[in-house]
Amino acid sequence: MSRKLSTGRAINEALAIAMESDPDVILLGEDVVGGGTLEADGVDEMGGVVGTTKGLVKRFGRDRVLDTPISEMGLLGTAVGAAATGLRPVAELMFMDFLGVCLDPLLNQAAKLRYMFGGKVRIPLTVRTLCGAGMQAAAQHSQSLYWITAGIPGLKTVIPSNPADAKGLLLAAIRDDNPVVFCEPKLILNQVGEVPEGDYEVPIGVAHLARQGGDVSLVGFGGTVPIALRAADLLAAEGIQADVLDLRSLAPLDEEAILTTLEKTGSLVVVDEATPRCGIASDVAALCVDRGFDSLNTPVRRVTAPHAPVPFSAVLEQAYLPSAERVVETVRALG
Amino acid sequence: MAIPISMPKLGMTMEEGTLLHWEVEVGARVEKGETLYVIESEKTEAEIEATAAGYLRHVYVEPGDVVPCGTLLAAIADAPDADFDPEAFRHEHDRATTAPEPSAPAPAPAPAPATDTRTEAGRRPVAPAARKLARELEVDLERIPGSGPGGRVTREDVRTYADLRASLVEVGGGVGLEVPRLGAGDPVLLLPGFGTDVSSFAAQTPALAEHHLVLGVNPQGVGLSDDPELDTHPVSRAAADAAAVIDGPIHVVGASLGAAAAIELALEQPERVRSLTLITPFVRADARLQAVTEAWARIAAECSPETLARALLPWLFSRDWLADDTARERGVRGLAASVARVRATALGRIAAGLRAWSGTRVDDLARIDIPTLVVVAGADLLTPNGAAVATAIPRAECLEVRQAGHAVAVEAAEVVTDRLLSHLAAH
Repeated sequence: MSRKLSTGRAINEALAIAMESDPDVILLGEDVVGGGTLEADGVDEMGGVVGTTKGLVKRFGRDRVLDTPISEMGLLGTAVGAAATGLRPVAELMFMDFLGVCLDPLLNQAAKLRYMFGGKVRIPLTVRTLCGAGMQAAAQHSQSLYWITAGIPGLKTVIPSNPADAKGLLLAAIRDDNPVVFCEPKLILNQVGEVPEGDYEVPIGVAHLARQGGDVSLVGFGGTVPIALRAADLLAAEGIQADVLDLRSLAPLDEEAILTTLEKTGSLVVVDEATPRCGIASDVAALCVDRGFDSLNTPVRRVTAPHAPVPFSAVLEQAYLPSAERVVETVRALG
Repeated sequence: MAIPISMPKLGMTMEEGTLLHWEVEVGARVEKGETLYVIESEKTEAEIEATAAGYLRHVYVEPGDVVPCGTLLAAIADAPDADFDPEAFRHEHDRATTAPEPSAPAPAPAPAPATDTRTEAGRRPVAPAARKLARELEVDLERIPGSGPGGRVTREDVRTYADLRASLVEVGGGVGLEVPRLGAGDPVLLLPGFGTDVSSFAAQTPALAEHHLVLGVNPQGVGLSDDPELDTHPVSRAAADAAAVIDGPIHVVGASLGAAAAIELALEQPERVRSLTLITPFVRADARLQAVTEAWARIAAECSPETLARALLPWLFSRDWLADDTARERGVRGLAASVARVRATALGRIAAGLRAWSGTRVDDLARIDIPTLVVVAGADLLTPNGAAVATAIPRAECLEVRQAGHAVAVEAAEVVTDRLLSHLAAH
């Protein structure tokens, strides 16, 4: 059975299932309870900046849903320590942009401990974090920095493109014995879709072919999957059939799925809402040229944001983000 | 970015076509595969499909116009109001299509004869997938025209070429020859002259095809035929290739170098030759013929096919014919199309082979016991001794066309065709 839920509610459901099925799972973050001090006044809690964790404190209590001080360094340090000493924490880094003030616990502790202790410690940590543009949250709250965490050995990075995957990927992330960064793209937060009931996982490291076509491969992830799917509809009207591959997981990367669709179509366009330098789109393009060279019938093209901060103006923010029209133009120009 | 639409070549004998009407208005959208225009050629109407989707941006040719195959007819653009310069586009198109391969600027100092400057043009863009497919299918990438942006060779181009290649006739040693076929009946083999393809028989082919299966042999290095390094002189090579193409006894028609090859074939394997037609034949490449073929090879390497055609015209046609402007321009177009299908490298080798050739001994001609028609031209500058061939072959008849040059089958097409048909009918 399934029913329609928003991505935010699907994430909330995954958290509840994880906490229900494993007493070691705790949530911590800035305002994950939010407003709880006003309970006495009958005011409901916020459940995080966009309400994702709403209701969980009532169900699981203050011992398992913890508001932290406004110190990301302290929050992530606590979470890494809790993970190393037997809990299965889910930390919320409100916006991925805040990675700048708390990178060390992730980069040098979470990602390295198991390796440096010869496998004698495990770090079953999940870091949930909002990423990307689309909510007019301006340049310091709209960045897509998953390319940083995906580039760190020892960290996994996943990013869903729809509510059903958000639930399954989050459950897989929480139950993974290694640190996983779970990105929540703002572009899909309010997207509503069918979500299966009950407990299920979407495996980490496995991409999903969201649409079948033989002429060109569109590769997206997170918020660019709906963009690629819309582009595929527009292209179909011109007689061009597109494969749409949803990466779902940026680290590990499902290289075989990328190479398989490339081999089938000979043409690949990768769509990423992040900036173009040193990013996932460049990484996918490099893979195509490196391991998929003999499959290339046209150049690999990237459709990304420009190398610039995310603008605050709604009009400029839309112009900044990749669009289905830009994808279509790029495909047309492949020749 | 616009895509050129040009007059197609629908058959071996088609040289020009009449645009009857456009099915799509200028500025309107057209889908790939939709009928774009209708042409008439050789009394047949044909609906031609758009080769790409887009907007009909500009038309160069109006209904009723007659234009040679390959002429730019229209441009399809991505958008109805895309930036477009009709004259620049035509210029670009003509430059690209009259050169057999993407043209390279000739290096300033003249290269040594028989070197192909086009190989120095730098690499053409080739998609890696096309490169891989070409390796797998064992086809020569250098010979595949590219349809992608900037002339990039795509996987589809390789596949199309490989399919065409699959129709080649294997003549031994892994060498494939393009042998276009037309009509049905007693087979006739056409062997074209130096540096031309079977389209040089265009004036004869339709009439021949009414009674015969016409097999035109594009020699090595011509059209789609392979271009291996020649291991022997071109006359015996052409004769051996012709022998490999045919099964039983067959009517053999050769022009110029093709006639020299036909003579060799008749001497080596007389049982396979039912009748011989030798148009402006020669048994020895004299100094003038050598000089012209060497110049021909060199111009082909350095200049456009049209330049080559114009340089050749005085050697191939009579003074009277050259005086007719209309005929002359038509001749340039036809000849340019034909020479464009010959690789310059092959020409250089054939010219060198001709220089090294010791010729066919005139005494040997007396051994040919095959009904033979020799066509000689009174104003033939290149092979003026054709009549001696007719005298030396015992069963030869001679047709002399006084007012024609070396390309007598073009210049006096009707006379030659009629006599050829009656010669074939009689044997």
